[in-house]
Amino acid sequence: MHGFRLGYILLILLVIGGLGFGVTRLRRRRGTEHPRDEWPRDKRPRDERPREERSAPPEPAPRAEVPALGRPPAPRPRPEPGPPGPGGSWAVETHGLTKRFGSNVAVNDVELLVPRGCAFGYLGPNGAGKTTLIRTLLGLTRANGGTMSLLGVPVPADRRRALARVGAIVDEPRFHPHLTGRENLRLLAAARGGEAGPRIVPSLTRVGLAERADDRVSSYSMGMRQRLGVAACLLGDPELLILDEPMNGLDPAGMHEMRSMIQDLVEEGRTVMLSSHLLDEVERTCDSVAIVDHGRVIRQGPIDELIRGAGTTVVRVDCSEPVTAAAIIEQARIAAGTAMAEAGLTVTLPAGASREAVAEINRRLVEGGVSVYGLQEVRTTLEDWFLSVTSRLGEPS
Amino acid sequence: MTEVSAATGLPASARGSSARGVRAGARFGSWLPTWGLIMTKLLEQRKRRGLMIVVALLTLGLPVLVLGLRLLFHVFDPKSYGPAGSPSVFAALCNPMAQFGFIAAAALGTSVGTTDLTDGVFRHLVVTGRSRLALYLARIPAGLSILLPLVAVAFAMVCLVTSYESTPQPASISVNGVSVPASLDQSQLNAWAQRHPRQEAAALAGPGPDEPGLAGPAPDQSSSPASMLSADYTASERTQLNPPVNEMAKIGLWLELEIGVGFLIGLGLGSLLGQRTVSTVLMIVLQIIVTPILANSAIPYFLNGQRLDVGVALDQLRPAGLAPGTGPHGPGRVLFGGRGVLNIPPMPTWAMISVIVGWAVGWSVIGAWRMATRDT
Repeated sequence: MHGFRLGYILLILLVIGGLGFGVTRLRRRRGTEHPRDEWPRDKRPRDERPREERSAPPEPAPRAEVPALGRPPAPRPRPEPGPPGPGGSWAVETHGLTKRFGSNVAVNDVELLVPRGCAFGYLGPNGAGKTTLIRTLLGLTRANGGTMSLLGVPVPADRRRALARVGAIVDEPRFHPHLTGRENLRLLAAARGGEAGPRIVPSLTRVGLAERADDRVSSYSMGMRQRLGVAACLLGDPELLILDEPMNGLDPAGMHEMRSMIQDLVEEGRTVMLSSHLLDEVERTCDSVAIVDHGRVIRQGPIDELIRGAGTTVVRVDCSEPVTAAAIIEQARIAAGTAMAEAGLTVTLPAGASREAVAEINRRLVEGGVSVYGLQEVRTTLEDWFLSVTSRLGEPS
Repeated sequence: MTEVSAATGLPASARGSSARGVRAGARFGSWLPTWGLIMTKLLEQRKRRGLMIVVALLTLGLPVLVLGLRLLFHVFDPKSYGPAGSPSVFAALCNPMAQFGFIAAAALGTSVGTTDLTDGVFRHLVVTGRSRLALYLARIPAGLSILLPLVAVAFAMVCLVTSYESTPQPASISVNGVSVPASLDQSQLNAWAQRHPRQEAAALAGPGPDEPGLAGPAPDQSSSPASMLSADYTASERTQLNPPVNEMAKIGLWLELEIGVGFLIGLGLGSLLGQRTVSTVLMIVLQIIVTPILANSAIPYFLNGQRLDVGVALDQLRPAGLAPGTGPHGPGRVLFGGRGVLNIPPMPTWAMISVIVGWAVGWSVIGAWRMATRDT
């Protein structure tokens, strides 16, 4: 009997080894024939238009049952973003939220209020704790302290009820590569239950993936996966979408499409909260932001108000003698500071300074014998403001 | 066009979804998986072509290969090669099928337990708000609905060939070289023994010096002559006659049990570790290294420890049709008339059931707990 057992133990090992070798060879062969993030050669759409037409912007897609990507069904008055949401609650509300990993505090006593019906940016440098906050909000990891609610529903106490009205992408959107886009959505729709199943086709159409819905996800590009992630979010007809770094890996056209889609979602009355470290994209997409640094929210509010509230005005001075001009301005004590740059002299006015201060600079320079060719008020961007309020400012580049 | 309410600032669809969300939230609370969820988990595994090929080969491959070749040989050269089916072929196929099937079950179980994690889909599923326990429980019927039918088909194939492509059943069987009428029950065997005392004595005396004996250790000398004869007769029937239908049914159920338990353990272990390769290797080590070592012989003062191995407990349940030989403890001591082919004394039935249920339920609980508490 022992000989018999030993015999088929060896047989089992032989068969397993052979199968493993065969499967590996098969996968390798398939991998070289169909690179994962590119169109398979035989399925690549062929563009037979003349070259000049190909370089022109694409024609709008035929109007579908739901709007195509970035094209809302019709313009509507955008609801005013603001705190008083339905039922008097915020879309996202946290108080004293804290999440630690050992001695590292990833989310530090966060007080966050996301108004309803707007695009809200959660902005911070890499490693600031943006994804950890999102994971904590969604119940993917437990908080160490504080309270939070989504759409007025406390989480994690009533997490299931809250998440039924939330769609989210955390980190990069990942799917079963061996299944098609449609099958992946079927899986998620089955988990959601209810009316998610019938929303699969409209969601795919909306994100522009209807034609590739029956291709395997392994053949999708990063941009297509991002769009499939948004389609997955839309299955639940969510009131709140939480998107973690949605622009990651997208080319400029993809970023433009994503931006348009986010704006459309907001116009439909949904709230979109997105985290990003791309300041320019957030400034273009969002109405309000919260700046997070080292796990702590250091500023939050509408972008315009935050930039206005930065309190300083920078004036670029184009003149004949910048060094003399700087000395005159500093002697007159009308500026908070001066700096020499490649473009010339820049003067930072003190907080709350009026436009008269610019005229005063001009008058003093002319009186001092400096020829002034131009004075230009430099607009503070979100990036300038972000760098001024986060710890990144003092870091060596 | 979507209507936007001035009061709420939400489109009609979104407002509707608020109310629906409350109802859906109540449904999400259920730990019972829905039919749709089970079907999509089945789809998720069924589409893994490499895995499905391996599982099909490990379950169907052996009987198809062996019986197919035997059938072909017999068709082309019936004088040299006998019929494809025979009692010995039946037992020789079913025992490896259990081993291969356990490994197939382990491979599938660990895959089902880790696919969502390794593909990064688990967090998508959790974010839907569905109960994590429901997500775990949906994997069990999905995986079993792949495995059990494959094993059933493979076993049905073996049974059909054994029943319809076998040698004619003999009217008598040889018990230690003594010819005894076939298919006697206990009372008929006792009556035969009273009528033929010399043949009975010869049968009890065991095989002659040139005669092949029955497999297994020597009979227990403390047993009564009637029970010893009965044990030898039963063992001879197993090796010389095709198993009856009820015995085939027992063997089929035992195979499904062994493979089902293997799947549950693999699923729990895979969910616990989150790594398919490591889990599969551990399962194979358990099946083809740890269990044979523990079941090789009774280790002094560690017999009860050996009996805690699920392989030992499942072996004891092995139907008598797959465990020829009289053995020290005689056949038919536990459920299914099982006695096992391993070399350690049997444990009480309640202990055997406890060990099997403990492994299956215990690993399921561990897997579900890990899934419910895992940070993603």
